[in-house]
Amino acid sequence: MTFNAEVLYSIVASTLRSSVPLILAALGGCFSVRAGVSDLGLEGMMLAGSFFSVLGSYITGNAWLGLLFGMLFGAVFSMLHAVMHITYRVNASISGMCVNLLATAATPLLLNEIFGMSGKSPIVEAFKKPDWQWMNNIPVVGRILGAQNVLFFVAILLVIVSWIFMYKTKIGLRMRMVSENPHAASTVGLNVTAYKYFGVAMSGCLAGFAGAYLSIGQMNLFVEEMTAGRGYIAVVINAFGKYNPLGVFGGSIFFGFFDALQTIFQNIFPSQLVMMTPYVFTLLVIALGLGGSRGPAGVGKHVDN
Amino acid sequence: MEIIRMENISKIYPGTVALKGVDFTLNKQEIVSLLGENGAGKTTLMKILYGMTAPSSGRIFYKGEPVRFKRPIDAIEKGICMVHQHFMLVPAFTVVENIIAGSEPGSNIFLDKKKARQEVIDLISRFKFNVDPDAKVEKLSVGEQQRVEILKVLYRKADVIILDEPTAVLTPHEVDDLFAVLRRLKDEGKSIIIITHKLKETKEIADRVVVLRDGNLINDNVDPRKVSTKELSEMMVGHEVNLQARRPAKHIGEVCLKVENLTVEEDGKEKVKNVSFAIHHGEILGIAGIEGNGQTQIIEALTGLRKPKSMKLTLDGKEVTGKSSDFLKAGIGHVPEDRLSMGLVKEMSVMENMILGYHRESEFCSKKGLLLKKQISQYAEKLKKDFLVKAASIYSAVSSLSGGNQQKIIISRVFSREPKAIIVAHPTRGVDIGATEYIHNQLIELRDRGAAVLLISADLDEVRALSDRILVLYEGEIVSESMPGELSEVEMGLLMTGGNYMVEEGKQRD
Repeated sequence: MTFNAEVLYSIVASTLRSSVPLILAALGGCFSVRAGVSDLGLEGMMLAGSFFSVLGSYITGNAWLGLLFGMLFGAVFSMLHAVMHITYRVNASISGMCVNLLATAATPLLLNEIFGMSGKSPIVEAFKKPDWQWMNNIPVVGRILGAQNVLFFVAILLVIVSWIFMYKTKIGLRMRMVSENPHAASTVGLNVTAYKYFGVAMSGCLAGFAGAYLSIGQMNLFVEEMTAGRGYIAVVINAFGKYNPLGVFGGSIFFGFFDALQTIFQNIFPSQLVMMTPYVFTLLVIALGLGGSRGPAGVGKHVDN
Repeated sequence: MEIIRMENISKIYPGTVALKGVDFTLNKQEIVSLLGENGAGKTTLMKILYGMTAPSSGRIFYKGEPVRFKRPIDAIEKGICMVHQHFMLVPAFTVVENIIAGSEPGSNIFLDKKKARQEVIDLISRFKFNVDPDAKVEKLSVGEQQRVEILKVLYRKADVIILDEPTAVLTPHEVDDLFAVLRRLKDEGKSIIIITHKLKETKEIADRVVVLRDGNLINDNVDPRKVSTKELSEMMVGHEVNLQARRPAKHIGEVCLKVENLTVEEDGKEKVKNVSFAIHHGEILGIAGIEGNGQTQIIEALTGLRKPKSMKLTLDGKEVTGKSSDFLKAGIGHVPEDRLSMGLVKEMSVMENMILGYHRESEFCSKKGLLLKKQISQYAEKLKKDFLVKAASIYSAVSSLSGGNQQKIIISRVFSREPKAIIVAHPTRGVDIGATEYIHNQLIELRDRGAAVLLISADLDEVRALSDRILVLYEGEIVSESMPGELSEVEMGLLMTGGNYMVEEGKQRD
């Protein structure tokens, strides 16, 4: 293999492609943690999103409606986490893991019950790569962006909107206050429970979106356990990106880059070695305290009413 | 003009009556001190006013109209705000963000940071507060954080400000600043209620004192200028108390605990600079000083919790070295500065806390390493009785006890081991008068049994009342040694703040 511009283009394009589900899921994690609820259930919500978006697309024959379905059911699964943790005060790590385990068990079951298939679903209507001829005329950027799914652009937009929401709006400030000190938030009249539910519901929608990207964005069917731990990676990215949408974006690109390298260099280096790199790096960053992955101070704290 | 009237307020909790038909009024531009022991019902009364809890019976009028607040936010919207004892601030936010969050200026959606900042700056300058609006709250001192809390309620246009134990966490200098702020607020037309059990401060700041005891109103119109602190304390406690009377040591013996050349370094700075002193058997040596002048470091060095840069510590002539458990075994007891973070495990029971640190002794532990449940519970029952610890049982979690009773558990644990020497830090912080009196008596009894006591306290009155000899600590150095009564309170205050009052030479260093 020769190292030339083609390879470079392909690495960059592939990096962006693999980043999208990470961006979306970790962005969901931002909402959850910035409302004071741990985001360990992302994997399960994401898997639910993958399955139900396929189901939605299967029923309606429309990928966009499939996506909506996926987001909706991501939110449904997130509510399990929310009710257990926020209302019944179960430890958030446990309720998060419950969601993950439930999704791992429920999706193959539903696959069998609904489609009578195991391992994977039938092929459904999926998102197509946009055919933007004009883009090919732009050098470099056009070639890279032209290779992206429309959902990539939606994800970028969501990053920006989320950042504005959290740091430039009143509700964003209030939500962050809930995550930092729920008692203080309560004394200035904020409904702590409502903000927490909102944050978790947003994390469910975005994780569901991330899952849908995997099933009907990159592919056109559901495969059992197709999230393959990306939800957990998103949890790490969220901490790495300091629970900030922009940080999360950067972190996702970083992890996506190694994902892309892995596909391209798998014939040269053992792919496991390349795959390990971001984790080793993350461990180093956290261990050395360089990233300062200190989260909001009030995560997991409850207020008595 | 009357602004608040609470009539015949009762509050019944399952098993106890917290308030029995209490009346309370507040006038415009008045500072009222709501005085009472812990458990007297003063906080409950204010929680009812503030909408944090509902009264069992009674009526509340605000500016002449009957009101009943269901939630604090209802009270806040009407202009009744509370500054909580434990600050309700977000350390990671700036001062401006903390003040505005929940009542932000700007359009419906977006936050107008410029306007918010300007409003906060206007507020700061109007009330002449000294706070940097852009500083992160985590960087501020406790006194500054309290000012942010007060700004928070002013920003919400409070007419009535309730302060819950506002001086509990402040240094004497910060208390002066706070009182200056409160007087300014009064001049601006605000009405203020201070919940407190501190008599001196009540006398200093209040226009009128309302005394509660055991849920009953004792007197709602005490003129602080016309009563002595002694009379006030008797109203509050219900019987005669004597905190100030000194009981000097009867027989001071040989040197017990000797500290030589103690130097502690922290973050590259010398926090304690070559300090030496000795305490005799049967003597209380007090260390006065504003917190943060090396007290913590001295305590930690003398109890083996920290390795000092240099120190020679001898107990009855024998050198003590090693880990904190070695210090304990040698006979140096420790009543730590912060009872909840260092002195107790609050989730654990009274019984377990009573033997913490001593649990390996043969009295409590078999040779195989198993705890002797029966002996321990008998021991705990005895301590509970001897030290008058008010707890449902020895199996109750320590977190369910009042501060005074929590402190009594530590006192009982350490004092009943008959230590040769004992390091006592802030023994009565956040503890009511009844328990304070009890703890002081215990300390004096321990001393009279021959122990050497090192008393470190931010409460100057306490140091002056109990000590047989007083050192003043300033920036890690001992700047004065005196006998009780030798220096006035003002002179000591000056020494504590670095104004070098040279007693012998009678001159002032700059």
